[in-house]
Amino acid sequence: MKVKVLDGKCQGHARCAALAPHIYKLDDDGFIMPGVIDVPPGEEAIARRGLRACPERALEEVQDS
Amino acid sequence: MAAQPQVAQDVEIPAHVPPELVRNFSFWTTPGMAPQKGGNPQAALSFVHYDMPRIFYAPRNMYDGQGTWVITRADDQRRILQDAETFSNNRYLFTKALGEELPMVPLEIDPPHHGKYRMLLNPMMSPKKVDAMEPAARARAAALIDGFKDRGECEVLGDFALPFSVGVALDFLGLPQERGMEFVGWAKAQLHGSPEERLDAMRTVVAFMKDLMAQRKKAPADDFMSVLLRSEVEGRPLNDLEVLGIAILMFEAGYDNVAAGLGFGLNHLAQRQDDQAKLRANPALIKSATEEFMRAYSTVQLIRRAVKDVEFEGVQMKAGDFVSCATMIANRDPLEFADPDRVDIARADNRHVAFAYGPHRCLGSHLARKELNIGYEEFLGRIPTFRIKPGTQPTTYGGHVFGIDNLILDWS
Repeated sequence: MKVKVLDGKCQGHARCAALAPHIYKLDDDGFIMPGVIDVPPGEEAIARRGLRACPERALEEVQDS
Repeated sequence: MAAQPQVAQDVEIPAHVPPELVRNFSFWTTPGMAPQKGGNPQAALSFVHYDMPRIFYAPRNMYDGQGTWVITRADDQRRILQDAETFSNNRYLFTKALGEELPMVPLEIDPPHHGKYRMLLNPMMSPKKVDAMEPAARARAAALIDGFKDRGECEVLGDFALPFSVGVALDFLGLPQERGMEFVGWAKAQLHGSPEERLDAMRTVVAFMKDLMAQRKKAPADDFMSVLLRSEVEGRPLNDLEVLGIAILMFEAGYDNVAAGLGFGLNHLAQRQDDQAKLRANPALIKSATEEFMRAYSTVQLIRRAVKDVEFEGVQMKAGDFVSCATMIANRDPLEFADPDRVDIARADNRHVAFAYGPHRCLGSHLARKELNIGYEEFLGRIPTFRIKPGTQPTTYGGHVFGIDNLILDWS
């Protein structure tokens, strides 16, 4: 499973990192790093909880191709 | 005395507002909004999701009697609040009240200029920075509670929530704690005072910050004001108005919503003994309860102003129109939250809008969340099972900032 960080959507709520800090890494200002996040096998459930916590809808699940 | 809106006698509906979208609604006069004993002003507004159009026009919704569009759905609010280029946040709150130019920075600054101030301030209020403030904040909460614990009762706002949130704000700003009760007085006057009392309190805060700025210019100290005075945006130092606007906003935004939030949450726990027992048995649930209390008992109405003519979901808005995004309305949207009027302290996927969405997302959200968690943890950890003192009832307030007062808890 991968999670895409949608450009320009993150406003620094930091809810993803509050639930899954090892998956969603924040910069010093508390904003998520841009790009696509590889979710380690077995971590899908907590990754999805973190994704669903984003008030801005800045995170999107992408299926492995 | 609670502040009363100054409703104009002969309100005209703007020509572009279709009559079928006009509703008799306001944050002052709709049932449940006026100050009352033992009310639940947030629940009192959930009817809009069932009885009102998705977007409607409330002709006398503002403090000064002006009208606003009311956006009821969470998803519509998200799109409006994320689009700060169309829906501006500059409403000149202090500027208009005091008759001198004093923008609240960065709240009343729109993108693209907004970003440079946020870049300066975000690191000061990041999750990491806020974690470092936790021990002092926790000690402050503990000391306040231990001070009234043996009395067997307390008035939550005056004895705990306000001194706690104001104390943390003063710590952050580097202001002397000896003046804490003075600040609490200004805070109370601004929240629930008459229009004259509010204006007086605003003037006092501005004068205090101007004086502090002058002192720190002469003799810098290890505090927030001194940091601001040596901060730069776009390669130049902040000017006096910017420093003042930021300092006043940090204080103004720093205490009232946290205090009101704690009040509403403790009020819930006093009335819902089952939830109180659950949190005592399982303190790990407190963080989730904090989120749910923020959702169910939100206190802020966000107002934006259209900067150009825009059609939004079939509704034609004109440049200059006010648009109300009330967090307490979006947070009870049944399309966003299952069974929204049920307060579920274990609610999953709780993407509430208590801190707004978009570029103006509450800068202090991480600190506010921390204070709320600490407040509930320390109160539940130090005070035995409590209830509303028999024969008393708290006063609840609607209006532009919801609140609760005279909340007397008893554990004697």
